[in-house]
Amino acid sequence: MGDNTLTRAWLALLGLSVGSAVLTLLPVPAAVMGGGILLLALIKTRVILAQYLDLARSPAWLRGFTMVLTGFSVLIFALYLV
Amino acid sequence: MSDASLIDELPGELLMWVLIVSELLVFGAGMIAFMGVRLTDPAGFAEAQSHLHRTGAAFNTAVLVTSGYLAAQALHWRQVARRAAARMALIGAALLGVVFLIIKGTEYADKMAQGINYETHPFFLFYYLLTGFHAAHVLAGVGILLLVSWRDDARNIEAGAQFWHMVDLVWIMLFPVIYLLG
Repeated sequence: MGDNTLTRAWLALLGLSVGSAVLTLLPVPAAVMGGGILLLALIKTRVILAQYLDLARSPAWLRGFTMVLTGFSVLIFALYLV
Repeated sequence: MSDASLIDELPGELLMWVLIVSELLVFGAGMIAFMGVRLTDPAGFAEAQSHLHRTGAAFNTAVLVTSGYLAAQALHWRQVARRAAARMALIGAALLGVVFLIIKGTEYADKMAQGINYETHPFFLFYYLLTGFHAAHVLAGVGILLLVSWRDDARNIEAGAQFWHMVDLVWIMLFPVIYLLG
């Protein structure tokens, strides 16, 4: 894992965090805001798993973690919408 | 691919991954319970959530991902024999963990000043339980990062950084659920 890859991951995480903050300020329906925030959080978890935790070198594990976290996010979103 | 080779694909120690998965499951169950109880009083949960300091918590997200970046860089630098840089990165990561705890402590103090405690509303019971348990992990992580900056074998740093990234992962999911989904 090189310096540049980690730096790009860090910048992506900061950018996604700013994206979440901006989303909370926009006049959008609650479902769009909630779904958008959870999607951005899900992408952030994938960046951390792939780059910080180096699962980019283990695609099967990265896929497995992503699937479970996606299922979790969908469940949270469903409970949010009820 | 056999099971053994699949397990061998995991970076670092298998036991650290067992710990990471266990922690994610515990916090995940807590967040699902939080969202489930919210169904009984969505308006009350939204009102309670409005007392939280979102900006401080969002800033803490930037603090943790930056700290995680330093921990990941530390492992890379130790592997390419830049030992001093690795140690400094680990100490920097630990210091950012302390910044996280100071901001969290300020948030708790502010709630106490408003007379808000875990009995005020079920929202705050979950808020204190989940963020408090996470803060305890941050505190432990700060100690681990300082420990591996001292005993700086690459395997030690890898295990310490993995623990820290787990703390980061939990916060990335906890922050939107507790602070934003009102």
